[in-house]
Amino acid sequence: MKIWSSEHVFSHPWDTVIKAAMRKYPNPMNPCVVGVDVVDRSLDNQGRLHSHRLLSTEWGLPSLVRAILGSSRTLTYINEHSVVDPVEKKMVLCSTNLSLTNLVSVDERLVYTPHPENPEETILNQEAIITVKGVSLSSYLEGLMANTISSNAKKVSICCRILPKHRDFNSIY
Amino acid sequence: MNSVGEECTDMKREYDQCFNRWFAEKFLKGEGSGDPCTELFQRYRLCVQKAIKDKDIPVDGVEFMGPNKDKPDGDGS
Repeated sequence: MKIWSSEHVFSHPWDTVIKAAMRKYPNPMNPCVVGVDVVDRSLDNQGRLHSHRLLSTEWGLPSLVRAILGSSRTLTYINEHSVVDPVEKKMVLCSTNLSLTNLVSVDERLVYTPHPENPEETILNQEAIITVKGVSLSSYLEGLMANTISSNAKKVSICCRILPKHRDFNSIY
Repeated sequence: MNSVGEECTDMKREYDQCFNRWFAEKFLKGEGSGDPCTELFQRYRLCVQKAIKDKDIPVDGVEFMGPNKDKPDGDGS
Protein backbone atom coordinates (compact mmCIF):
# COMPACT_ATOMS: atom_id res chain seq x y z
CA MET A 1 0.00 0.00 0.00
CA LYS A 2 1.23 3.45 -0.83
CA ILE A 3 -0.16 6.66 0.57
CA TRP A 4 0.40 9.88 -1.27
CA SER A 5 -0.70 13.34 -0.27
CA SER A 6 -0.08 16.93 -1.27
CA GLU A 7 -1.30 20.45 -0.76
CA HIS A 8 -1.59 23.09 -3.42
CA VAL A 9 -2.54 26.76 -3.20
CA PHE A 10 -4.35 28.31 -6.17
CA SER A 11 -4.09 32.08 -6.67
CA HIS A 12 -7.81 32.31 -7.37
CA PRO A 13 -10.92 32.61 -5.20
CA TRP A 14 -12.75 29.42 -4.25
CA ASP A 15 -15.69 29.98 -6.66
CA THR A 16 -13.37 30.28 -9.65
CA VAL A 17 -11.41 27.17 -8.72
CA ILE A 18 -14.58 25.13 -8.15
CA LYS A 19 -15.98 26.14 -11.54
CA ALA A 20 -12.74 24.98 -13.16
CA ALA A 21 -12.62 21.78 -11.07
CA MET A 22 -16.16 20.80 -12.10
CA ARG A 23 -15.27 21.27 -15.77
CA LYS A 24 -11.73 20.03 -15.88
CA TYR A 25 -12.46 17.43 -18.58
CA PRO A 26 -11.87 17.31 -21.49
CA ASN A 27 -8.40 18.28 -20.56
CA PRO A 28 -5.51 18.31 -23.03
CA MET A 29 -3.14 17.84 -20.11
CA ASN A 30 -4.86 14.64 -19.03
CA PRO A 31 -6.10 13.04 -22.25
CA CYS A 32 -6.58 9.62 -20.62
CA VAL A 33 -10.04 10.74 -19.41
CA VAL A 34 -12.15 10.03 -22.48
CA GLY A 35 -15.63 10.21 -20.99
CA VAL A 36 -17.48 11.77 -18.08
CA ASP A 37 -21.07 10.97 -17.16
CA VAL A 38 -23.32 12.15 -14.38
CA VAL A 39 -25.01 9.08 -12.94
CA ASP A 40 -26.87 10.93 -10.22
CA ARG A 41 -27.04 14.45 -8.88
CA SER A 42 -29.12 16.04 -6.16
CA LEU A 43 -29.35 18.86 -3.64
CA ASP A 44 -29.66 17.90 0.03
CA ASN A 45 -31.71 19.79 2.60
CA GLN A 46 -28.67 21.85 3.57
CA GLY A 47 -28.29 23.14 0.02
CA ARG A 48 -25.24 21.01 -0.80
CA LEU A 49 -24.89 19.57 -4.28
CA HIS A 50 -24.08 15.85 -4.45
CA SER A 51 -22.82 14.51 -7.77
CA HIS A 52 -22.07 10.92 -8.66
CA ARG A 53 -20.04 10.72 -11.86
CA LEU A 54 -18.59 7.92 -13.91
CA LEU A 55 -15.26 8.64 -15.58
CA SER A 56 -14.06 6.53 -18.50
CA THR A 57 -10.29 6.46 -18.77
CA GLU A 58 -7.68 5.02 -21.09
CA TRP A 59 -4.68 4.15 -18.96
CA GLY A 60 -1.34 4.43 -20.65
CA LEU A 61 0.12 1.34 -18.99
CA PRO A 62 3.33 0.07 -20.52
CA SER A 63 2.73 -2.99 -22.71
CA LEU A 64 4.96 -5.10 -20.44
CA VAL A 65 2.76 -4.31 -17.44
CA ARG A 66 -0.34 -5.04 -19.50
CA ALA A 67 1.14 -8.39 -20.45
CA ILE A 68 1.90 -9.23 -16.81
CA LEU A 69 -1.58 -8.19 -15.68
CA GLY A 70 -2.99 -10.37 -18.42
CA SER A 71 -5.42 -7.66 -19.33
CA SER A 72 -5.82 -6.28 -22.78
CA ARG A 73 -8.43 -3.86 -21.49
CA THR A 74 -7.09 -0.39 -21.29
CA LEU A 75 -10.47 1.27 -20.90
CA THR A 76 -11.14 1.52 -17.19
CA TYR A 77 -13.86 3.19 -15.16
CA ILE A 78 -13.69 5.44 -12.14
CA ASN A 79 -16.46 6.24 -9.72
CA GLU A 80 -16.46 9.79 -8.42
CA HIS A 81 -18.61 11.30 -5.68
CA SER A 82 -18.45 14.98 -4.90
CA VAL A 83 -20.18 17.34 -2.48
CA VAL A 84 -20.15 21.09 -3.00
CA ASP A 85 -21.22 23.29 -0.10
CA PRO A 86 -21.66 26.86 -1.40
CA VAL A 87 -22.30 28.30 2.08
CA GLU A 88 -19.35 26.76 3.90
CA LYS A 89 -17.31 27.06 0.67
CA LYS A 90 -16.02 23.53 0.65
CA MET A 91 -15.82 20.90 -2.06
CA VAL A 92 -14.94 17.29 -1.26
CA LEU A 93 -14.35 14.83 -4.08
CA CYS A 94 -13.72 11.11 -3.58
CA SER A 95 -12.91 8.74 -6.38
CA THR A 96 -12.18 5.06 -6.68
CA ASN A 97 -11.57 2.69 -9.57
CA LEU A 98 -14.33 0.34 -10.72
CA SER A 99 -12.21 -1.68 -13.13
CA LEU A 100 -9.35 -4.04 -12.33
CA THR A 101 -10.36 -3.97 -8.66
CA ASN A 102 -9.03 -7.50 -8.18
CA LEU A 103 -5.58 -6.12 -9.04
CA VAL A 104 -5.47 -2.60 -7.77
CA SER A 105 -7.48 -0.08 -5.82
CA VAL A 106 -6.88 3.65 -6.01
CA ASP A 107 -8.83 5.77 -3.53
CA GLU A 108 -8.38 9.46 -3.97
CA ARG A 109 -9.77 12.33 -1.90
CA LEU A 110 -9.60 16.02 -2.79
CA VAL A 111 -10.75 18.88 -0.57
CA TYR A 112 -10.99 22.46 -1.84
CA THR A 113 -11.36 25.23 0.73
CA PRO A 114 -10.69 28.97 0.72
CA HIS A 115 -7.34 29.98 2.17
CA PRO A 116 -8.04 30.87 5.82
CA GLU A 117 -5.94 34.03 5.62
CA ASN A 118 -6.56 35.12 2.03
CA PRO A 119 -10.01 34.74 0.42
CA GLU A 120 -8.43 35.35 -2.99
CA GLU A 121 -6.65 32.00 -2.70
CA THR A 122 -7.86 28.40 -2.52
CA ILE A 123 -6.23 25.39 -0.89
CA LEU A 124 -6.45 21.91 -2.39
CA ASN A 125 -5.60 19.00 -0.12
CA GLN A 126 -5.19 15.77 -2.04
CA GLU A 127 -4.55 12.27 -0.79
CA ALA A 128 -4.48 8.93 -2.54
CA ILE A 129 -4.19 5.40 -1.23
CA ILE A 130 -2.96 2.90 -3.78
CA THR A 131 -3.08 -0.82 -3.12
CA VAL A 132 -1.93 -3.40 -5.63
CA LYS A 133 -3.08 -6.92 -4.83
CA GLY A 134 -1.45 -10.24 -5.45
CA VAL A 135 0.99 -9.17 -8.12
CA SER A 136 4.69 -9.63 -7.59
CA LEU A 137 5.39 -6.28 -9.16
CA SER A 138 3.06 -4.53 -6.74
CA SER A 139 5.50 -2.00 -5.35
CA TYR A 140 6.57 -1.08 -8.87
CA LEU A 141 2.96 -0.60 -9.96
CA GLU A 142 2.06 1.36 -6.84
CA GLY A 143 5.00 3.66 -7.48
CA LEU A 144 3.99 4.01 -11.12
CA MET A 145 0.44 5.00 -10.20
CA ALA A 146 1.57 7.37 -7.44
CA ASN A 147 3.81 9.05 -10.00
CA THR A 148 0.88 9.33 -12.41
CA ILE A 149 -1.36 10.88 -9.75
CA SER A 150 1.40 13.22 -8.68
CA SER A 151 2.07 14.26 -12.26
CA ASN A 152 -1.65 14.76 -12.96
CA ALA A 153 -1.99 16.84 -9.79
CA LYS A 154 0.68 19.18 -11.11
CA LYS A 155 -1.17 19.39 -14.44
CA VAL A 156 -4.42 20.21 -12.62
CA SER A 157 -2.58 22.97 -10.83
CA ILE A 158 -1.31 24.34 -14.12
CA CYS A 159 -4.73 23.95 -15.75
CA CYS A 160 -6.52 25.70 -12.96
CA ARG A 161 -4.06 28.55 -13.25
CA ILE A 162 -4.59 28.73 -17.00
CA LEU A 163 -8.34 28.14 -17.22
CA PRO A 164 -9.69 31.17 -15.38
CA LYS A 165 -7.41 33.49 -17.33
CA HIS A 166 -7.71 32.22 -20.84
CA ARG A 167 -10.88 30.29 -21.27
CA ASP A 168 -14.51 31.06 -21.50
CA PHE A 169 -15.93 28.41 -19.17
CA ASN A 170 -19.03 27.94 -21.29
CA SER A 171 -16.95 26.88 -24.25
CA ILE A 172 -15.19 24.00 -22.52
CA TYR A 173 -17.95 21.46 -23.04
CA MET B 1 -16.45 15.23 -23.75
CA ASN B 2 -18.13 11.95 -24.57
CA SER B 3 -20.61 9.82 -22.74
CA VAL B 4 -20.05 6.17 -21.91
CA GLY B 5 -22.97 5.52 -24.26
CA GLU B 6 -22.37 7.01 -27.68
CA GLU B 7 -26.09 7.56 -28.13
CA CYS B 8 -26.14 9.68 -24.93
CA THR B 9 -23.42 12.14 -25.89
CA ASP B 10 -25.71 14.78 -27.42
CA MET B 11 -28.05 14.64 -24.40
CA LYS B 12 -25.04 14.86 -22.10
CA ARG B 13 -23.70 17.97 -23.83
CA GLU B 14 -27.08 19.66 -23.73
CA TYR B 15 -27.44 18.85 -20.02
CA ASP B 16 -23.84 19.85 -19.17
CA GLN B 17 -24.31 23.23 -20.81
CA CYS B 18 -27.49 23.84 -18.83
CA PHE B 19 -25.95 22.58 -15.58
CA ASN B 20 -22.70 24.53 -15.92
CA ARG B 21 -24.60 27.77 -16.40
CA TRP B 22 -26.85 27.12 -13.40
CA PHE B 23 -23.89 25.99 -11.26
CA ALA B 24 -21.81 29.08 -12.00
CA GLU B 25 -24.53 31.72 -12.16
CA LYS B 26 -26.94 30.52 -9.47
CA PHE B 27 -25.72 27.69 -7.26
CA LEU B 28 -22.31 29.09 -6.30
CA LYS B 29 -23.95 32.45 -5.61
CA GLY B 30 -26.28 30.85 -3.10
CA GLU B 31 -29.36 30.68 -5.35
CA GLY B 32 -29.49 26.89 -5.43
CA SER B 33 -33.23 26.33 -5.61
CA GLY B 34 -35.03 25.83 -8.89
CA ASP B 35 -32.58 23.79 -10.94
CA PRO B 36 -33.82 24.41 -14.52
CA CYS B 37 -32.02 21.34 -15.92
CA THR B 38 -34.07 18.59 -14.27
CA GLU B 39 -35.88 17.51 -17.42
CA LEU B 40 -32.71 17.39 -19.51
CA PHE B 41 -31.02 15.42 -16.71
CA GLN B 42 -33.75 12.81 -16.42
CA ARG B 43 -33.61 12.12 -20.15
CA TYR B 44 -29.80 11.91 -20.19
CA ARG B 45 -29.70 9.86 -16.99
CA LEU B 46 -32.01 7.18 -18.37
CA CYS B 47 -29.78 6.87 -21.41
CA VAL B 48 -26.59 6.61 -19.31
CA GLN B 49 -28.11 4.06 -16.95
CA LYS B 50 -29.05 1.89 -19.90
CA ALA B 51 -25.50 2.20 -21.34
CA ILE B 52 -23.97 1.29 -17.95
CA LYS B 53 -26.20 -1.78 -17.76
CA ASP B 54 -25.47 -2.81 -21.35
CA LYS B 55 -21.72 -2.49 -20.80
CA ASP B 56 -21.85 -4.29 -17.44
CA ILE B 57 -20.06 -1.51 -15.57
CA PRO B 58 -20.33 -2.26 -11.84
CA VAL B 59 -21.57 1.15 -10.73
CA ASP B 60 -24.45 0.21 -8.44
CA GLY B 61 -23.83 -0.62 -4.81
CA VAL B 62 -20.42 1.00 -4.67
CA GLU B 63 -19.51 2.82 -1.48
CA PHE B 64 -18.32 6.41 -1.88
CA MET B 65 -16.48 6.77 1.36
CA GLY B 66 -13.06 7.40 -0.16
CA PRO B 67 -9.82 6.66 1.67
CA ASN B 68 -11.39 7.16 5.11
CA LYS B 69 -13.84 4.29 4.75
CA ASP B 70 -11.96 2.05 7.20
CA LYS B 71 -11.64 4.66 9.91
CA PRO B 72 -13.90 4.16 12.93
CA ASP B 73 -14.83 7.85 13.02
CA GLY B 74 -16.74 7.59 9.73
CA ASP B 75 -20.50 7.94 9.54
CA GLY B 76 -21.01 4.42 10.81
CA SER B 77 -21.97 2.83 7.51
